[in-house]
Amino acid sequence: MKKISVILIVTAACLSGLPAQASPEVDKLLQKYQQQGAAVAVPEQGKNLWYSKNGDRGCINCHGSTPADTGRHVRTNKAIKPMAASVNPERYQDSKKVEKWFLRNCKWTLGRLCTAQEKANTLDWLNSL
Amino acid sequence: MENKKALVFGSVLLSGILTFSLYGIGSSIASDDSKHEHDREYEYRDKGTNYSTKSVGTNKLYMEECGSCHMAYPAQLLPTQSWQKVMLGLEDHFGENAELDAESHNSIESYLVQSAARRKGESRKLLRNLGNKTPLRITELPYFIYEHDEIPCRFITGNDKVSSLSQCSACHQNAEKGRFDEDDVVIPGIGRWDD
Ligand code: HEC
Ligand code: HEC
Ligand code: HEC
Repeated sequence: MKKISVILIVTAACLSGLPAQASPEVDKLLQKYQQQGAAVAVPEQGKNLWYSKNGDRGCINCHGSTPADTGRHVRTNKAIKPMAASVNPERYQDSKKVEKWFLRNCKWTLGRLCTAQEKANTLDWLNSL
Repeated sequence: MENKKALVFGSVLLSGILTFSLYGIGSSIASDDSKHEHDREYEYRDKGTNYSTKSVGTNKLYMEECGSCHMAYPAQLLPTQSWQKVMLGLEDHFGENAELDAESHNSIESYLVQSAARRKGESRKLLRNLGNKTPLRITELPYFIYEHDEIPCRFITGNDKVSSLSQCSACHQNAEKGRFDEDDVVIPGIGRWDD
């Protein structure tokens, strides 16, 4: 019983959107997106984008259905390390890398660039996991 | 004078030893190959070549940029012109966008060109029967096709752990280190290759 309530409290803390870890690189990017016109990030919408489909294509084609698990590149089968920052602390530590992949993956998945708002939402969500 | 003589004698002796030992390696490699005996046309006898001598692992930028969607292919697996052609088309790279900023682009291209397969040296067999062609893929080299034509399709495209021959490391256990000995081949879901 005690155990369960601890789990509940921890889950509640996570759900309430407390940042899982402070990451100066992520903060820097979020600030940049705001300068480009984005409002405050809404992680819930980042999650929606992540799981949405454009025809056959979606982020989960390569990153898998659970961000805490290893994904597989849909064309090459190569393993892609988990996207949840708490599982894979190497994530989102280099803003050039983040921008490069937003560029490529948004084009591939949505057939267009992501807006600053979409990037802020998704990044904030993934970084909070 | 005496010194010079000794030096000359020394170098002759040394090169003799080297030639002899290289010959030894060459013949022992050739003799353990029975499969290709009848293929006079192709003389792919030298085996167990390590393609990573200009080691893949030392170029961090290449490993990172060209190793994110698939393994970073050892540079010695394609000739210079092929790498140049690959690098020219990164915006549409086999249907993917693999574009790079100018600085990374130049640095990676010069690494690939420096370490590419040569007509001379250990990578030469890769270029046999290639003529003047400039394939974009390792899997299009005549040598590659020849080495893999005995593998049934159901082991490759019919195998979702492999999916295509381009995924070297799915079967070659030491591919990331640049080693492609047929003795190190394990086909996922099928087992060790034995012929
Ligand atoms: C076709 C395959 C593919 C699809 C689809 C895909 N990605 Fe990726 N993504 C990758 C690969 C490969 C990497 C780089 C490998 C790595 O970092 O482990 C990556 C990396 C990233 C990164 C950088 C992570 C970091 O460590 O900095 C972000 C952010 C990202 N993807 C977001 C997305 C979003 C958002 C979508 C959907 C709109 C998406 N991806 C769809 C393949 C894909
Ligand atoms: C965004 C993902 C991505 C990135 C980044 C990427 N590639 Fe590729 N590459 C692919 C895909 C997809 C294929 C086709 C795989 C298939 O047909 O199974 C491929 C195939 C190749 C092949 C042909 C393999 C064969 O069949 O013999 C070469 C060579 C190659 N890539 C080199 C590079 C180089 C050099 C870089 C870095 C400049 C690079 N790749 C970066 C996705 C990528
Ligand atoms: C489906 C599994 C599979 C994949 C994927 C694969 N290979 Fe092979 N490869 C083999 C097998 C099996 C042999 C041995 C063939 C034989 O003995 O007839 C072999 C042989 C070779 C040889 C000759 C080795 C020797 O000892 O003479 C080379 C070189 C080679 N592969 C390179 C590659 C490269 C480079 C790639 C990726 C572009 C690749 N292979 C992808 C299964 C595979």
